[in-house]
Amino acid sequence: MSASLLLPAATVGNLLVWIVWIAAAFACLASGAAVVSFTNPFYSALALIGNLGSLAVLYLLLEAEFVAAAQVLVYAGAVMVMFLFVIAYLGGQADAPWAGGPRWQTVGAVTAAAALLVEVIVVIGIKAGGRLSDEAAIRESFGSPAEIGRLFLTDHLLAFEITSIVLLVAAVGGVILGSHARSETGPAAPDVQA
Amino acid sequence: MTEPWWISLIKAAVVINLLLGVFAYTTLLERKVMGRMQLRYGPNRAGPFGVLQPIADLVKLIRKEAFTPTQALDVPYIVAPVLSAFTALAAFAVIPFGEGWHVWRWDVTGQIVDVPISLILIFALGSVGIYGFIVGGWASESKYSLLGSMRTCAQLVSYEVSLALSVLGVVLMGQSLSLTEIVEKQGDTIWFAVPQFIGLVTFFVAGVAETSRAPFDLPEAESELVAGYHTEYSGMRWGLFQMAEYVNMITLSGLCVTLFFAGWHGPWAPLGPLWFLLKVAVILFVFIWLRTTLPRLRYDQLMAFGWKVLLPVATLNALVTALLVVAID
Repeated sequence: MSASLLLPAATVGNLLVWIVWIAAAFACLASGAAVVSFTNPFYSALALIGNLGSLAVLYLLLEAEFVAAAQVLVYAGAVMVMFLFVIAYLGGQADAPWAGGPRWQTVGAVTAAAALLVEVIVVIGIKAGGRLSDEAAIRESFGSPAEIGRLFLTDHLLAFEITSIVLLVAAVGGVILGSHARSETGPAAPDVQA
Repeated sequence: MTEPWWISLIKAAVVINLLLGVFAYTTLLERKVMGRMQLRYGPNRAGPFGVLQPIADLVKLIRKEAFTPTQALDVPYIVAPVLSAFTALAAFAVIPFGEGWHVWRWDVTGQIVDVPISLILIFALGSVGIYGFIVGGWASESKYSLLGSMRTCAQLVSYEVSLALSVLGVVLMGQSLSLTEIVEKQGDTIWFAVPQFIGLVTFFVAGVAETSRAPFDLPEAESELVAGYHTEYSGMRWGLFQMAEYVNMITLSGLCVTLFFAGWHGPWAPLGPLWFLLKVAVILFVFIWLRTTLPRLRYDQLMAFGWKVLLPVATLNALVTALLVVAID
């Protein structure tokens, strides 16, 4: 690598990682807050796409390229398209999260979120406090599709198979629910659920 | 030495400009070929044989008023075409067009950036690009636009599954998700179009549907929806949507050449990128040919074909390929 003109290449690289990390982390938090504060559900769905996208950037920084691409392809791509489809079809406005509802709900939600945050910080501090300063040893194949596939079919076989059965049940359930709804309204009914 | 970042930047600039040039002249080729197939001349006024027509079109589009409907939601309305054009152009970054060269001190790779998961990256960018069409149609606040974007949404989601499954056979045979390695494997053995012929056919049909080209151009069926999701767009914003559609078509042709026709390898003479360009041109011609030949499908036919014919065929192809790959190994 040809070094940059002013700084050694490693420093420039580290600086870039920091800039990208800060940008992605803030985008993640901002879009998460946006999801619950937009009154228009379409904008909320768009903010959720942004949230999933910035999570993918964080995965990239963790050297998990495959997971990042799969995150964009499956969640930000396929799943959220369905959300947008339904929202655009039905339209309408949602209530603002602070409009209506008893005040104790807001207080309770904020308290619970704060408690969770404190717990996360404490657990990370106790469990990993001493080790965070060392860099983890990462093999060349880490995060590659081949490595992930090998882990799925060896160490995590049971979880992998159970997940696939759950997905299959969900798919069959979706088909049955869809066909049930159609037979009640007649065969020519518009397929809203697509 | 591996290439420094500024060589990648130069390559990116060259490839994007080439891509835009190819886009401009694909529109001319389309109008010329369609004209000849329909027993007329096609554009022939701007320059000799009409070769300046794309430039005239561009000047017209830039000077046209970029109209915004009063009810439209400004930010998504303006961002949508930009997003579509951006993802379309970005996807080409990982398609290898040459073997790589040794220039002075550096080994320059034959694509802008070589990532080990390039195939998935292309699909991921494609699935983000869909949002441009959906958001654009929704933000226009027009019934035709909304119906167009709903159709786009349902059609692209349905055919994306078949498209992804149809390349699984190639991935199994190439034993890699890197497009460079898949091309090199084909150079060493056989073009995957031969053993993966069913994969090629499903890929191409699903690809035509993914790029919303005739006979699958229901998202902008002009006889029913005026122009679908871009009904309310004009000027260069419309131009960006059009650019996204054509660049997607070019990228898909490039992907088809890479996965099934051995990319830059030719049957003889090591011409490198010229072979790649030639094969892409042939596939683009087939796209245009289809448009002049086949009438548009009905919407229920489109859905039934996608889910009940294409998807089972693609799944079966992937299964049989997997079995054979394991059996031969």
